[in-house]
Amino acid sequence: LSRPILLACLICLLLLAGLATLRGELLAFAIPLLIYLLYALVQFPQRIDLDIQRALSAERVHAETPVTVTLTITNRGAVLDNLLVEDRVSSGLKIISGSARHLVTLRKNGSFTFSYTISGSRGGYSFESVYTEACDPVGVFQRAQTFPAAGQLFVFPEVTRLKFVAIRPRRTRIYAGSIPARASGAGVEFYGVRDYQAGDPPRAINWHASARHLGSLFSNEFQQERVADVGIVLDGRERTNLFRGGHSLFEYSVLAAASLSDAFLNQGNRVGLLVYGSYLAWSLPGYGKLQREQILHALARAQVGASSVFTGLEHLSPRMFPVESQVVLISPLVGEDLNVLVQLRARGYQVLALSPDPVAYESRILGLTPEVGLAARVTRMERDLLFRRLQRAGIRVIEWDVARPFDQVVRPALRRAPIPQHMGRIV
Amino acid sequence: VIHITLIINIILCVGSLAWGYGQSGRESFALWILIFGAVWLIALWRRLAWFASVGLLASILAAALGLWLGLSPAWMLAGILFGLMAWDLTEFRRRLSLAFFEDDLVGLERRHLLRIYLLLLAALLLSSIALTARVKFSFEWGLLLAIVTALGITHLIRWLRNS
Repeated sequence: LSRPILLACLICLLLLAGLATLRGELLAFAIPLLIYLLYALVQFPQRIDLDIQRALSAERVHAETPVTVTLTITNRGAVLDNLLVEDRVSSGLKIISGSARHLVTLRKNGSFTFSYTISGSRGGYSFESVYTEACDPVGVFQRAQTFPAAGQLFVFPEVTRLKFVAIRPRRTRIYAGSIPARASGAGVEFYGVRDYQAGDPPRAINWHASARHLGSLFSNEFQQERVADVGIVLDGRERTNLFRGGHSLFEYSVLAAASLSDAFLNQGNRVGLLVYGSYLAWSLPGYGKLQREQILHALARAQVGASSVFTGLEHLSPRMFPVESQVVLISPLVGEDLNVLVQLRARGYQVLALSPDPVAYESRILGLTPEVGLAARVTRMERDLLFRRLQRAGIRVIEWDVARPFDQVVRPALRRAPIPQHMGRIV
Repeated sequence: VIHITLIINIILCVGSLAWGYGQSGRESFALWILIFGAVWLIALWRRLAWFASVGLLASILAAALGLWLGLSPAWMLAGILFGLMAWDLTEFRRRLSLAFFEDDLVGLERRHLLRIYLLLLAALLLSSIALTARVKFSFEWGLLLAIVTALGITHLIRWLRNS
């Protein structure tokens, strides 16, 4: 029973009882309740007129970095007693100091400022509104209203700096970069020898070859280094990422995607990102800092998703990536992914598969029992077989046991580009 | 401060009513009222805020019954006033629990207590005047007054609920 109704009922009860029994004292007993109710009615604010401003100390942070949210509330209307103000904080964020809820009294044109500090895991969070609840001074009548106070916070994944990631796609772009382009020109890698041409610098002359052919001079040629197109595919399928007890490998995959995209962009390449989850979230390829921001935003929002359409990788169309470019798939991988990757490779793409190790990860979750050990061995064999088939198809596979730091595992494996090879026979 | 004031008000509410009943030789009634007061305090301790409404209703019913039995109206009125204040403070305490510890809780408490004291003082004065003054109302006028009051309150509540 709400407070005003209870009061009204009691007043009516006393009035009717007084009249029924012809006892004036009962009417007198109703007076305190009546005064109380009338006072509440008179003082009850007819409307809440607030101006709310929000400020965040940072809008782009890394995971678990504290961010201070400051709200300034100005009362444009009548006096508000016992005004409850509550900022609505996303469930993924946790308040580490201060409070998002306050009880204040605001005079006309008075203002109140409060701050609280939050931190959270990777994600894109939006602050939309502030909930307010005003009541009369004795709290009989209440009025709730929400006010818009927009704000956005992006918690980016951790980025491990990789100095150099060696890739060797068949086709490069025209701009100078760091990827050998299978064409002679300015560079550091030896490419071949040709006849000396007027204008060649003396240090380019290959004296050994020239000595063997009297009367002729030969010059060294170097391999041009250019930038390339790199498409990063982040596997967000629930079937490959989620394990018992809500454990997920996806966060590790996101870390890998962030680190690799950062490294590729630093090398001057054109990088695109495709998050393959419950739907395809495609960040168009681009260069530089702007693209790094776009990719980090996309990674901040990336979630594991279940979809009956995207259970396999067959929707990973080659048309999504520039012809003969570098495709990097970050996925724990399952057996059915083999055909799709081989098809990509067959179309001339250089494919690099970086696979966070689900067997080691799940074994640690389940604990070392004989049954788990046996299951892990069987799964490990299946996985080794899959990797062998991928490697025979010319796909570079790097397995990452997530218990080890990403850069320690990946840096040695990615320091040298693979020797280009033709398609092998699929076992 | 609120907590102590609340306990004192509950004690004063049941104490006034029990004293009124006790004075007229109805000790068993007084005992039941004291037991109810103890239950109210336990409910307060267990943070059962809804029990304050039961307490207010019970104190009004006890006061009305006391009046019917010919007890002193002053003690009964005091019981209602303290019951109303206990009911009010229970709600205020619930609202204060929503506040952050750095909010101006002392100021909020002080303002509320001052306001409620003044309000109940005015109510006490008016009720006392109403109890002592003897104005002859015919039954028809009284009935009309009651119907108008009841209708007015009902419409008001309906309007507020809709808005």
